[in-house]
Amino acid sequence: MATSHSSAELLEQLQLLSGQNVSDCYQCGCCTSGCPIGEAMDPPPSKAIRLLQLGKGYELLNSEGIWMCASCLVCGTRCPRAVDYARIAEACRALVLRSKKSKVDPDTVANPELEEIPQQAFIAAFRKSSV
Amino acid sequence: MRKYVYYPGCTLYTKARNLDLCARRAAEKVGFELTEMPSWNCCGAIYNATSDDLAAQVGPVRNLAKASQLGEKLVTLCAACYNVLKRVQDRLDQPGNEVESERLKTFVDEKWGPADEPQGHTERSVKVLHYLEVLKNDVGWDRVKEKVTKPLAKLKVASYYGCLMVRPKEVLGFDDAENPQVMDDLMRVLGAEPTKFDFKAECCGGYLVVNRREVAKAASQKILDNARAWGAEAIVTTCPLCQYNLDKLRVLTDGSLPVFYFTQLLGVAVGLNQDELGLEHNAGDTAGFLRSKGLI
Repeated sequence: MATSHSSAELLEQLQLLSGQNVSDCYQCGCCTSGCPIGEAMDPPPSKAIRLLQLGKGYELLNSEGIWMCASCLVCGTRCPRAVDYARIAEACRALVLRSKKSKVDPDTVANPELEEIPQQAFIAAFRKSSV
Repeated sequence: MRKYVYYPGCTLYTKARNLDLCARRAAEKVGFELTEMPSWNCCGAIYNATSDDLAAQVGPVRNLAKASQLGEKLVTLCAACYNVLKRVQDRLDQPGNEVESERLKTFVDEKWGPADEPQGHTERSVKVLHYLEVLKNDVGWDRVKEKVTKPLAKLKVASYYGCLMVRPKEVLGFDDAENPQVMDDLMRVLGAEPTKFDFKAECCGGYLVVNRREVAKAASQKILDNARAWGAEAIVTTCPLCQYNLDKLRVLTDGSLPVFYFTQLLGVAVGLNQDELGLEHNAGDTAGFLRSKGLI
């Protein structure tokens, strides 16, 4: 990860990649309450944005939460401030992947039903979480 | 007969044959023809939303260019292909995005426009449609209704759209993002009874099934339980990944809630042969279920 950057530079980079402005968010929590994966996502969308607002971007980059977002876009669709967290999570994943670190190594996926899963799932999963 | 350029995508030739075959046959029954575009490539399966990643757009851009040579409308069935191709087309057409758009078009090195036009052709972008949009807007519900030979006998069906068909709403413009209706309308036309359902457009967990199976399973189970609570006897969908997650991932405690592709029930209603429905690719005894309802 590009740890040589200051947290302000990191935020700028994330906002550029995602096209979102994190200070637009007023923390109503609508995104988190509607997130279908919210219970399993740490941090959930609103908290993730809060971390960025507080200058804790690296904490978010190191979190599990950014890898749990399946880009269903419910959060951004319902956001009263038009902040699209799915794009922010995408930008976070992109920065990690661009430092040549895979979250998921295709060779080590252990799933008893690999043969059955439609291939679109593999392509999507590896594009989102592998270098 | 109306003709459309058809983009099947990777999954429809393998895991989702039960979505593809009956769709082509049913189309002929209601009066349109799907002609597969030659030398198509993978759509990428998921849209890349980062502002600077042009490489991820190249595959879909090439498909769009190829399709533009063949016609003005490109029809898809897979929800993921629909979502990706439509969003990439929107990205190309977005005002202010001309530089990126030009770079991508130059890179794929394909002609944009009618194949039979000489040099100096007019550039045209292709309109990406979903099969359901063709049924609703081009064929029309009345015409579909005329072709129904086996009405679905008030079968209580929950229409499950998932995320990829309806969001982002401003780009896809397919239907309402919270309470979509197109598939419900089709089911009504076919003689079924669409049920209310809270999680029509809720995510099934999607590709998380690959490495976070338990998360996708929990999300899918919630959708199934809700459909059942609303009295559904069956679910219909148009996404191979939704179909897999709902149909194959659950613990099959009983087979009372089969998960069909909408094209399979369309096929039943317009009188396709059982061997054209691909029922063997669904989990559980879907043929037995349809037989018990007097539909096959």
